[in-house]
Amino acid sequence: MSDLYIPKLVRIEDVVEEAPDVKSFRLVFQDEELRDSFKFETGQFGLYSAFGYGESTFCIASSPTQKGFIQCTFRASGRVTNALSALSIGDTMGFRGPYGNSFPVEEWKGKNMVFIAGGIGLPPVRSVIRYALDRREDFGDITIVYGSKSVADLVYKNELAHWDERADINCIQTVDPGGETEDWKGKVGFVPTVLEEAAPSADNTIAIICGPPIMIKFCLSALDKLGFNDEQVYTTLENKMKCGVGKCGRCNVGDIYVCKEGPVYSAAEVKKMYDDF
Amino acid sequence: MEEQLRKEARRLLTEGEVAVVIGYGWNSRKTRVTPVFITNPDDADKLVFNALCVNNLSIYLTRKYKDIKALGKPAIVAKGCDIKNIVICVSEGQVARDNVYIIGMSCTGVVYKQELWQGELTDNIMPTKCHNCEVRNPHVTDIVIGDKVDFTPPEEPTGMVFDKIREFDRKTPKERWDFWIDHFNRCIKCYACRQACSLCYCERCITDKNQPQWIETSAHERGNLAWNLIRAQHLTGRCTECGECERACPANIPLNLVNSKQALIVKESFGYKSGFDMEEHPPMIVYKPEDKDDFIK
Amino acid sequence: MILSKEKLGALVEQVKISGALFAAPAVDGGQVVMKSVNVADEISFDYVITANSAKEYLFPQTETIAVVEIEKNKVKLSAVEPDAPETVLFGVRPCDAAAFASLRSVFTWDFIDESYTKREDKSIVLSVACTKGDEGCFCTSVGLKPDTTDGSDLQLKETTDGGSFVVEALTDKGKEFVKKFSDVFDDGSADTKAIFTPDEIPGGVDIEKIKERLADPAHYADPVWPELARKCFGCGACTFSCPTCHCFDITDEGDVFSTERKKNWDACQIDNFTLHASGHNPRDTQTKRWRNRFMCKFHIYPKKFTTKGCVGCGRCVRVCPVRLDITEVMAEFSK
Ligand code: SF4
Ligand code: SF4
Ligand code: SF4
Ligand code: SF4
Ligand code: SF4
Ligand code: FES
Repeated sequence: MSDLYIPKLVRIEDVVEEAPDVKSFRLVFQDEELRDSFKFETGQFGLYSAFGYGESTFCIASSPTQKGFIQCTFRASGRVTNALSALSIGDTMGFRGPYGNSFPVEEWKGKNMVFIAGGIGLPPVRSVIRYALDRREDFGDITIVYGSKSVADLVYKNELAHWDERADINCIQTVDPGGETEDWKGKVGFVPTVLEEAAPSADNTIAIICGPPIMIKFCLSALDKLGFNDEQVYTTLENKMKCGVGKCGRCNVGDIYVCKEGPVYSAAEVKKMYDDF
Repeated sequence: MEEQLRKEARRLLTEGEVAVVIGYGWNSRKTRVTPVFITNPDDADKLVFNALCVNNLSIYLTRKYKDIKALGKPAIVAKGCDIKNIVICVSEGQVARDNVYIIGMSCTGVVYKQELWQGELTDNIMPTKCHNCEVRNPHVTDIVIGDKVDFTPPEEPTGMVFDKIREFDRKTPKERWDFWIDHFNRCIKCYACRQACSLCYCERCITDKNQPQWIETSAHERGNLAWNLIRAQHLTGRCTECGECERACPANIPLNLVNSKQALIVKESFGYKSGFDMEEHPPMIVYKPEDKDDFIK
Repeated sequence: MILSKEKLGALVEQVKISGALFAAPAVDGGQVVMKSVNVADEISFDYVITANSAKEYLFPQTETIAVVEIEKNKVKLSAVEPDAPETVLFGVRPCDAAAFASLRSVFTWDFIDESYTKREDKSIVLSVACTKGDEGCFCTSVGLKPDTTDGSDLQLKETTDGGSFVVEALTDKGKEFVKKFSDVFDDGSADTKAIFTPDEIPGGVDIEKIKERLADPAHYADPVWPELARKCFGCGACTFSCPTCHCFDITDEGDVFSTERKKNWDACQIDNFTLHASGHNPRDTQTKRWRNRFMCKFHIYPKKFTTKGCVGCGRCVRVCPVRLDITEVMAEFSK
């Protein structure tokens, strides 16, 4: 492939302002053939180009069960993401991927699922949530614990409302103390605490965590208390990436190239890694 | 001299006056000196001082070095020329004078690059700065180690860099331009020049700023020129001509030439020499009503 | 087979006529570097090792990978074919030649980076065995030697009289090269100068022991790390001059109407290499960055890519402004 680093052109079909500085794009390949042939799995990521500015890495937030488009959600925090954020419906940007490994969702058939996310950590988890909801009969109980700093910072507000309504999902939303509004109906408290209170059973259950490192750390010990072992817990690592294909040498954690062997790891695997976070 | 240095280091560490002594020590083959960080008084004997001690250790006082900062208050083994950089860092609020103990070294000159050392310090392996040195007896110190050195710098600056400058002044702008383009072309944008410089202490260098991208990061003619010009500008009137950037440059670009020419201009225009006065700020960062305006044409 | 230095002129000329690039050691900016030459007179023979490695001929410092033209909402994206001329790399030291296998291993595991492979496929390596060296050289400590043939298509050894080279064709490519330019190569043999032997590293080096120690993640917490590495000031000179360093950045240059996507060298020694957009930096001190370099050379390369991360060329030792000598760290981790 001499076009290893060459993105495919995609058109922005829809823009959703999720939270301050956070946007979601629905992207459609310009090349019609690609629209049908493009395949990916939950947990994989891509590199998104704002031409004239460069590329930025984030996960694909839609689910493989949703066809014809991909969705991504990002926070405008650097040169590229700021430039992306300035684009609007109809504009063209670049995408290459999918890269990386994925959540072993096939292996999880018949299991209960606990999804834990903080802030902008929901998008990667959301891909799996959508997948599980689209194949609802394949899974047991579904618990979602999602929190952010404030009510405004919650992403996917519409979807959250929808998950809230569904009887077959236990969706718990929380905001950090001080982040609540007057009409806030969810919980107030940090995700790890709320998770411990919710106390999902560890029996035949898989937990997926994504969020800031400190939240992950405390959620891991909360899950530990709830009886989860490290093989039952998964997370996705976010490292600085430039190539996505194991060449540029910057995503490594010790000898692991996150772009190739990751970004999805079980907690057991993470604990064995070099301290390079 | 080394005995005196070690004794002082031992005293400072034993009495807890400082937590670390930043100095020079031998490499394992005893052929080159390298920076050492002495925290244990028993290791004070590792300190050396000789004509190979070309590094300007003041770089380790800047905020880039979190793990050195974490050790606690430093003492630093410094030649007069190195002290000039400390002076600038103090005057620019980067280092508090009370937070560093300066062990000033009487100095008779060093080699330009350690590789040139053949057992004897001769004029032609000494950098230009040593030929014109006004601070062989260090000027801002907490203690001076070594005997007083008798040396008066020449009236007219001498040495390779100044010879080159004089030769340059006679050239046409086109010739000068070609010379620099030719040299900057070799730049590989490694930023070793910046990393070696204790006055390039910015948390985020302009070349790392990308909103907007001021300097293109590719190593091509345009990007290289932009980088080298901007770095030179940021050092106008501040650079002490310590020569660390040129020494660090893997592409052998004559950076001292740029810096010394600028220093000459600043001296002529403002009567300012950098690195001597902790109270005075370099002229490019202050405004004075009597500043010349003859550059506006 | 013999290649006399007098006939080098003819070789350069014929190579150039064939349309290929001829790169060889030559003086530039006061040092001997690998450089494209037009006539044999430019070639230097008096050098220990070129200041740069030959890698920039296969993996250039800066390379345009795509051009993007933007007009209103129309984006025209064109991939740029890598510029991969036929290249003769003459006078490469054996350590540098051995490093190509390392670069190749990174650029071809799973995904293939064709800008590298195309260039490598189109170049031919004429190494010259070392008859002199300096304190920086330590190929023998990493399992190579000053006349290693790994990565060379032809290896040249200087004759005792210094006027010629004894040539050995090692690969099919090398044999074809000799056939193609047969009139410059003469039959025969001659005595060659003694091969240089690098000094032992003080304290001794045991590569297996180093690998074993690095394989245990616990060494990250070893207090010896700051002791060894905190003096590094992150200039990146070691990584840029290293023949096996492969790291790069992808960046856009231009304006919102017309932009070039570039692939530029980058290095793990530089402070913002791993800086996340959130401001978090997993390698926030120079000690950690240097530790990564050592890991890369003696753990990641051998383990992940099963090639050498370090070929013992010694450039990083020579070029380091603070004399952070990788061999001292190797000796420490051989304990
Ligand atoms: S410039 Fe002066 S103080 Fe500095 S090394 Fe030379 S002689 Fe010593
Ligand atoms: S040290 Fe030399 S090669 Fe490196 S960026 Fe500075 S001028 Fe360029
Ligand atoms: S690590 Fe140093 S000695 Fe080893 S190959 Fe790289 S530059 Fe050469
Ligand atoms: S990670 Fe560092 S040492 Fe390894 S190849 Fe990249 S720049 Fe070189
Ligand atoms: S050359 Fe020396 S100072 Fe520069 S990054 Fe490498 S080890 Fe650090
Ligand atoms: S992102 Fe380039 S190697 Fe992983």
